[in-house]
Amino acid sequence: MSLKEQLKKDFSTITLALMAVGIVLNIALGQVVSLLKLPIFLDSIGTVLVALLAGPWAGGLTGLLTNLIWGMLTDPVAAAFAPVAMVIGIAAGLCAKYGLFKKWWQAIISGVIITIALSIIAIPIRVYMFGGVTGSGADFITAYLMATGRDLFSSVVITVITDNLIDKVVTALLAWGIVKGLPKRFASRFPRANSVTE
Amino acid sequence: MPTTPTLYLPGTSYLHRLHPLSKLVFSLASAVIIFGGPGGWVSAFFPGLFAMLLLWRAGLVGEVTRTILRLLTPFAVVLFLIHGFVNPQNQTILLRLGPVALGQEGLNFASLIVIRLTAALTASLLLMVSTHPSDLIQSLVEIGLPHRLAYLLGSPLLMLPQMVARVQVIQSVQQARGLETQGNFFQRVRALFPLVAPLVFSVLVDVEDRSLALEVRGFNAPNQKTSLTELVDTREQRAARWIMIVLAGFLLIAGIGWRMHGGH
Amino acid sequence: MAVINVQGLTYTYPGSTSPALKDINFQIESGQLVAVIGGNEAGKSTLCLALSGLIPALFHGQMQGMVTVCGMDTQQYSPGQFAGQVGLVLQNPANQLSGMRYTVYEEVAFGLENLGISRVEMPARIENALEQVGLAELCDRSPYALSGGQQQRLALASVLALTPSVLLLDEPTAMLDPQGSQDVFEIIQKLVQAGTTVVIAEHHLEWIARYADRIIALAHGEVILDGSPREVLTSSRIQEAGINWLRYTQAAHLGIARGLWSPNTELPITLEQTLAGFRQMGTTSSTRQET
Repeated sequence: MSLKEQLKKDFSTITLALMAVGIVLNIALGQVVSLLKLPIFLDSIGTVLVALLAGPWAGGLTGLLTNLIWGMLTDPVAAAFAPVAMVIGIAAGLCAKYGLFKKWWQAIISGVIITIALSIIAIPIRVYMFGGVTGSGADFITAYLMATGRDLFSSVVITVITDNLIDKVVTALLAWGIVKGLPKRFASRFPRANSVTE
Repeated sequence: MPTTPTLYLPGTSYLHRLHPLSKLVFSLASAVIIFGGPGGWVSAFFPGLFAMLLLWRAGLVGEVTRTILRLLTPFAVVLFLIHGFVNPQNQTILLRLGPVALGQEGLNFASLIVIRLTAALTASLLLMVSTHPSDLIQSLVEIGLPHRLAYLLGSPLLMLPQMVARVQVIQSVQQARGLETQGNFFQRVRALFPLVAPLVFSVLVDVEDRSLALEVRGFNAPNQKTSLTELVDTREQRAARWIMIVLAGFLLIAGIGWRMHGGH
Repeated sequence: MAVINVQGLTYTYPGSTSPALKDINFQIESGQLVAVIGGNEAGKSTLCLALSGLIPALFHGQMQGMVTVCGMDTQQYSPGQFAGQVGLVLQNPANQLSGMRYTVYEEVAFGLENLGISRVEMPARIENALEQVGLAELCDRSPYALSGGQQQRLALASVLALTPSVLLLDEPTAMLDPQGSQDVFEIIQKLVQAGTTVVIAEHHLEWIARYADRIIALAHGEVILDGSPREVLTSSRIQEAGINWLRYTQAAHLGIARGLWSPNTELPITLEQTLAGFRQMGTTSSTRQET
């Protein structure tokens, strides 16, 4: 089967429209959240929502494309982290598929799993391409750890995990709550929503 | 309603007139050489310099330099501080400031990273500032990108301003209702759901309409699609693209060999 | 000739227990303007989707009976195959933009590109469609810089460029201001005059009363009335569809008890009919006084 046919089969038009909206949510929601001054960026909420409603591949693609579009919009550096965003979608979709998004406490576990999965991809990119630095507040953790004698790699491991854990757990909880609250008539358009709602 | 601000700068320079794929291949080949080529900073420096010269000829160098400075300055400052002062690999001490010392090895490493990123940013900005996003997407469709992926790449750019407008409405509504955005940590965490959920619900409700509108306009019609506009391509550009691809492949292999023999 | 043929259509959305449409039967002749009226959840939107070939193809669910449009069975052809035959315009103008095109002109081209119309043929069809909806002058604007009414006319043009023989409109004026609604209505009238078959779900009864050839009234997914506007809008059953009589009808009805309206005259639905009816009674009663 060609890539074209495969895509056609996996992604109906409504899934496609959902993914486009997911990408926009990833980019636009950061603004709302900055209002609350929390250590949360919520820049993968759309990815996780798509993963819950339409499965791991749709979720992964939503994440990947979000960062490529971010690269076009403001900052080409974001494109370098596209594989990380993709892993978030795939991990969330797999968690849902295997029944880890039915209860709120399961959503928390899924958030932890997503963090671990994304770290595996994010750490090499951060270390090799960016010298372990991101230009954000998280760099203080890296600096502190290195000052206490750790090497760059293990410092970045700890930074990436602490920096992402709260965000991904909150994201997973929010996505779970939103999918639970969707009108039945809407959720029924996405067969995968069952894995959360039932 | 404003359209999404992108990195694209409208214009008529020779770079603007090049086929989008030529610029895309240039950016991607440069990235491969910058991060994969042999000889450390040399592989990064020359593609970056070349991209800068191309931009200078098109009169775009000022704008691109400003963007690079905006994106990289905070990053570079932190990078030099961390690696200059606290990189455990520092052995050659250049300067001592009380308890901390500035090390040669860390500075070298930070310089390499900054040169690489500057070069990669220059090469990718060459594409972004001179190519309208819809032309880039169209050029990808012409070489076989499925229309569904083209939709996913293109439509968010146009939906974003509507979404930002909605975000602002919901923000002000929730604040008017006395949503706690100032309180302690847990109050603020609790404020998250009422802030985010209405927006997400309202957006998800539109998803069905959007998909129906696509369907009734033949998005999934079984025939071959056509295009209103045609992108200008030349034989020279096609040849140049192949040369860049071969060159990047060659330098990548050379770079792998160089690393296997102990290069950093 | 019947361009739309609906036989025994019953449809239930997936995950729902009660059907959204129950045993619907009707035929629509070519070139007619048919209005579908009814309250919320009466099944108007579902009917539009079923006539456009999107139900059952995209929604799955359970469908019984048969719908053919332009001779094509909706259970056998895909929405893509209906695109050139049947046009559908929805309520919310902004949601109907493709999201892929940066000017009004290109937005109209989107459907033509999808249907594989040759590049040579496109400009004439685009300009013609924009002319029909009065947007020719705005062709270089961004679709997102248009007013709601203009966006809705653009949605119409995008569909008209595909030259459908049937046009379905699901409450196209529900989100528009009076001027925007008026513009849309005028375009529809012209289309009907030019021979397009139009089926419209609509709330503006006065407009329907004046221009529709026929009205189908739905309540709880069933057809409760089907006939000429005057038959349907003056029927006492129309309230079951959650619809009140027009003021003209109410006035004439009140007039019967006071001897101002003849019980033998059909109740009116337009100003002209009302005036004619009252004038007739006025002349007969004044003649009586004279004799």
